[in-house]
Amino acid sequence: MNVGEEMDHIILETKNLVFQDRIHYKDIQIYKDKVNFIVGSSGTGKSTLLRLFNGTLTPSNGEIRYEGKSIIDINPIELRKEVSLISQSVYLFDTSIKENFEQFYEYRGIKAPDEPQMHKYLQLCQISFPLDKDCTTMSGGERQRVYIAIFLSFLPKVIMLDEPTSALDKENSTKVIQNIIDFCKEKGIVVIIVSHDNQIVERFGENIITIG
Amino acid sequence: MDSIVKLNLFQFSLIYLLLLVILAIMKKSKINKTKLLILASFRMTVQLVLAGLILTYIFKEPHPIFVVLYLLAMIAFSIRRVLSKNKDINRNFKIAISFSLALSGLFILAYFVLVVVGESFFNPQYTIPLAGMIIGNSMTGVTLGMKTFTESLRSQRNRIEALLNLGVTPKKILLPFVNNALETALMPTMNNMLGMGIISLPGMMTGQILSGTEPTTAIMYQIAIMIAICTSVCLTVFCTLHFGYRTLYNERSQIRL
Repeated sequence: MNVGEEMDHIILETKNLVFQDRIHYKDIQIYKDKVNFIVGSSGTGKSTLLRLFNGTLTPSNGEIRYEGKSIIDINPIELRKEVSLISQSVYLFDTSIKENFEQFYEYRGIKAPDEPQMHKYLQLCQISFPLDKDCTTMSGGERQRVYIAIFLSFLPKVIMLDEPTSALDKENSTKVIQNIIDFCKEKGIVVIIVSHDNQIVERFGENIITIG
Repeated sequence: MDSIVKLNLFQFSLIYLLLLVILAIMKKSKINKTKLLILASFRMTVQLVLAGLILTYIFKEPHPIFVVLYLLAMIAFSIRRVLSKNKDINRNFKIAISFSLALSGLFILAYFVLVVVGESFFNPQYTIPLAGMIIGNSMTGVTLGMKTFTESLRSQRNRIEALLNLGVTPKKILLPFVNNALETALMPTMNNMLGMGIISLPGMMTGQILSGTEPTTAIMYQIAIMIAICTSVCLTVFCTLHFGYRTLYNERSQIRL
């Protein structure tokens, strides 16, 4: 691949990125057609990097380019709709799964998907509960998967998952990641995953970025 | 109607014996607040004696400057009290609180004295006691509203983060917290209005009746002051939170709590 071709494949890249004079990142490239993994020991700034990518944090120095354009020049709300971050801290409203879909969609000002669509996204994340299941009675892992399903259903251009399997057992972790990657490849969604799980990184990683 | 029985110092000091009841209950219930009770009673006595002396002087020698100074002192103390309970908020939020308390209180007070009563704004007999009630209650309302607002923001960090990551505007995320805090801040005043006249005879009305005012006049004043207080609480908390929540995010739509 020559330089021009490589540029066409890059969706996000950083140049001399520094956060609060504490974290100095090497220059990073995220590729459109690869499964991008970010690895590194705790406290090296992996989650911070994802928050810099979606503009909920601002770097103290350096630049982030999304589709060739500096993110400073992009409306932050539009950027976050396209570059969606599924953070580690799960939040679900104290209602049913269906009402959760509806409430998140209401906040975004768009119509929620119909019930079969909701089921489809839940299935992707290995959730087979009825839609009227109360989210307050679910385990941490189940809540995490419902949360991921809701975010996936918005079909962003880039999906960033911060430790998506932290509350899941091994078998579920592999299945969920496999399903998400397959789905995203089918829909042309770029995947960035922060993970501590070496097995998952080795199995699915196509562009592995080590930080710290 | 009979005029009020003037209390001599001995009669007056008898009321302090009631504090012994509180002290006894505190001791029995192992509530370690005896020092606070004594300090609070002492401070109240000193503050009210001072206020009494100042008011006596102002009523004898009424001058607009005294009324203005008294109002400024009231506003300054109420702002200081609210800010002392909200030390962690940003500077612009503090400015929002200060202006909301001062301007909403003064606006309602001016309407009451100038339009409803039809007296001069600088007549200390009306302006000072009414200001005390209006500003004092607004201060309590803002304190409660801010407490609810900051506590719910703190406990709902994950919700705020999730919605922000989903591309929801900070305004849309924060407004439900603002509305909820405003509702909470208004509840005590409205509950007070519901029970008034049946469960309690309010302080101002009791004071007026004790001093020989016709109950009908006292009632009209009480109704008027309650509506004024409720409006002032509502306006002050509304302005505080509506100007305040905008200071929690920047032009990059990043929320800083």
